[in-house]
Amino acid sequence: MNPLTRQDLANFAAQPTPDPTEWIRVQLDTGGVAAGAETVYTALQQALAESPRGCELLRTGSVGYSFADPVVEVQAAGMPRVHYGALTPELAPTLLAEHFGAHRLLDDHVIATRRRGLVLDATVTHVLVGDTGAADVNKTEFLQFSFREELKRRGLADRVQVVRALDLGIYDEGAVVQLLPSAVTYTNVLAHDVARIVTESIDGGRVIDDLLWKMPDKQVRIVLRHCGEVDPDSLEDYLGRAQGYQALAKALFTLTPEQVIAEMKVSALRGRGGAGFPTWMKWQLTRAQPSTQHYVICNGDEGDPGAFMDRSVLESDPHTVLEGMMIAAFAMGASMGYFYIRAEYPKAVERIQRALDQARERGLLGRNILGSGFDFDAKIRLGAGAFVCGEETALIASIEGRRGSPSPRPPYPSVRGLWGMPTAINNVETLAIVPAILLRGGAWYASHGTETSRGTKVFAVTGKVRNAQLVEVPMGTTLREIVFEVCGGVLDGKEIKAVQTGGPSGGVIPNSLLHTPVSYETLLQLGSIMGSGGMLVMDQSDSMVDVAKFYLRFCVDESCGKCAPCRIGGYQLQQVLDRISRGRGAPGDLALIHRICHAMQKASLCGLGQTAPNPVLSTLRYFGEEYQAFIEGGPSYARKMSRVASVATTAAKPPVDPGSATRSPIPVKEVSP
Amino acid sequence: MKTIPAPHGPDTSAADLKNIDEVSLIDLLEKVEQKHGFIPRDISDEVARLMEVKLERLRRIQGKLDTTIRRDVQQHVNHWRNEEGNLIMILHAIQNQHGYIPREVAMELSRELGVKLARIYEVITFYHYFKLQPPGAHSLTVCNGTACYLKGSGDLINEVRAQLGIAEGQTTPDRQIHFDTVRCIGCCGMAPAMVVDGKTCGHVKTSDLAGHVATLRARKGVAA
Repeated sequence: MNPLTRQDLANFAAQPTPDPTEWIRVQLDTGGVAAGAETVYTALQQALAESPRGCELLRTGSVGYSFADPVVEVQAAGMPRVHYGALTPELAPTLLAEHFGAHRLLDDHVIATRRRGLVLDATVTHVLVGDTGAADVNKTEFLQFSFREELKRRGLADRVQVVRALDLGIYDEGAVVQLLPSAVTYTNVLAHDVARIVTESIDGGRVIDDLLWKMPDKQVRIVLRHCGEVDPDSLEDYLGRAQGYQALAKALFTLTPEQVIAEMKVSALRGRGGAGFPTWMKWQLTRAQPSTQHYVICNGDEGDPGAFMDRSVLESDPHTVLEGMMIAAFAMGASMGYFYIRAEYPKAVERIQRALDQARERGLLGRNILGSGFDFDAKIRLGAGAFVCGEETALIASIEGRRGSPSPRPPYPSVRGLWGMPTAINNVETLAIVPAILLRGGAWYASHGTETSRGTKVFAVTGKVRNAQLVEVPMGTTLREIVFEVCGGVLDGKEIKAVQTGGPSGGVIPNSLLHTPVSYETLLQLGSIMGSGGMLVMDQSDSMVDVAKFYLRFCVDESCGKCAPCRIGGYQLQQVLDRISRGRGAPGDLALIHRICHAMQKASLCGLGQTAPNPVLSTLRYFGEEYQAFIEGGPSYARKMSRVASVATTAAKPPVDPGSATRSPIPVKEVSP
Repeated sequence: MKTIPAPHGPDTSAADLKNIDEVSLIDLLEKVEQKHGFIPRDISDEVARLMEVKLERLRRIQGKLDTTIRRDVQQHVNHWRNEEGNLIMILHAIQNQHGYIPREVAMELSRELGVKLARIYEVITFYHYFKLQPPGAHSLTVCNGTACYLKGSGDLINEVRAQLGIAEGQTTPDRQIHFDTVRCIGCCGMAPAMVVDGKTCGHVKTSDLAGHVATLRARKGVAA
């Protein structure tokens, strides 16, 4: 294929490829595939082969609705664009017949759009209903029935379909009704409002102000802007529909490297890997080093358990990350880049490799890119399951083919990095933001977020939360908003106990402090860190001592063993915690924990050891009474607690059918040695 | 004079050559000795000959294996020859091929790359991803990421331990099922998750495990 030229890119910018009028996009990321998205795709393919409808079946990455995988987005002529969640292969023919044939939506599978409207600018064709109140009584069916009856009475039943929604994106607001296609949303709808909505809004086309949900969506999608929109396996799609490589062209032809860095400075983007070092400064420092070769590395070693945003971005939008890396390379004068990706993410590796091959084929990688004289190439290096390799110097050692032991800093990698050359290491998320900043300006990006932490951050909210999903919010959004308003609160309506951020290097934030706005500084003050963005919700049944033990065991396992504070301190700390959790703690243990933690924080060589005590210290700080109870209660209390925990987890599980229950007896709890 | 009836005539031995192994030959000798108090010359000669044939075959297989290993390793090394820091990538390729890193291959790799074997083992043992033991024919991996842990992956692990009688990182004695835990497979939305022979299952309950194990056992597979 011919290499792309500057003119080609200008043509793409002037004339974006139009969307086909009717399409189905199946979201095939790891989570989706695990939930059966491939089988749904094949089923849809078969159904389309049997009854051709002229609609295109497309593949994309994930939009982030992990709770409803497999997710499919559908656009049909004369129909609102909708996401369907929790699909099964059996539903494929029904979906085609109903959605494309009868122009009807499927009950219980629609995920309502988060772009809610405030004006009724089109005739209502579908009404989504859902009860978002208390979980024990679900009035959705009743609501659907009332609307149907009311529509029948007004003779509108043929024109308007009432659909039960899977998820409306609004929680604890009673009965919620969304009028499609304008997406005007009413909350706390009572029985007597039904008639009003039908006469005023559906028939009359007027918005009812006192029911209207005016709150704009909390999410701002910058990093995830193309996720679920473009085909991750197609360069053409990215070029034609997502302003692909326009930012690169802009950097190469209209800006100098200094201007790129200046733009980054205006945006005040800070590294999204966790530490929050200003990205522009990192690039500036690397650029300033006189050297024959500079390197840029994309850190996709997302070892933090419970976090999956890097995986999602790499899988759903690989070309954006590559474009970001190329812009970074241009700014720093680097001609070689590495993607360091976990081997546990085969799909991400595959898609990045394909993106690299496609880019190379079209002359976007190699010599004299787009005729600008800029040379750059990138390669993939696989991680091999070592958490410590997320640390810059350990990551470099791993790319060099050695064991991933960190080395003391300074010298920082921006001075002496990969093979002794100046190297800038940027997180996946950071690089994915870069093209957006160049296209829309640093000031635009800086308009989001707080004074010290600008822009948005992606969080993977998991654990005991109703809707586990990817969330991208501006900095400064409170934890409570993220957990309750975006993700729907705690699973099974339980009470929240704490939110854990930053994975094994972070800490827990108790319920009483959930009003804290999220930023690098505030989380640090609370004894946690931003980290890469894993956010774990814990309910009242989770023991904090247990959680601390879990994270600490992780860090002890992952310690590379190079420096004593981390190797020995971690192990000793684990012994003490183990003792406490078995009810054999001594009154002096808490002071001992503090001493060990302090030593580890001060004396460890790298970030892993320095932050490993964070989960312990923060649980001790906010939930000290739990530790105290274990110490004072002794072994009998500890035994009781472990029983309570196992009863709580079994009770939380849905009832199993008796057949399978007889086959496998209740597991015998292992006695810890 | 007592004539000793040979348990197998020379003809039958030759015919059975393929399915007689060393253990049964030695068994045979012991039986003859028990019966007669000594081992007649012609029998011991015949057994020695059979053993020699057997050994020769093993040697030939070994030789062939050595050449295969050498060729494979050379292929991997050539692919990465001009790359700096290629060791980890070559190890990945080897593990993808064999499912683990056999000692012989590691030794060959050391010769081929000119890197000390200790250096190679240093890398292999540092990273969790590389294995030194052959995996079972089937694998059952429980995710022990934080989200899965909170939703009861601990119970799942205990249940698998109880059902298979092995701890994580081990393979059942019949080399059929390899049980392992993994840090996080990134499917936190469907916690607790489990990977059964490469297929991810979400929202796993302890009561489902017996079914998964039964399907694995039913699937005929050759141990690697």
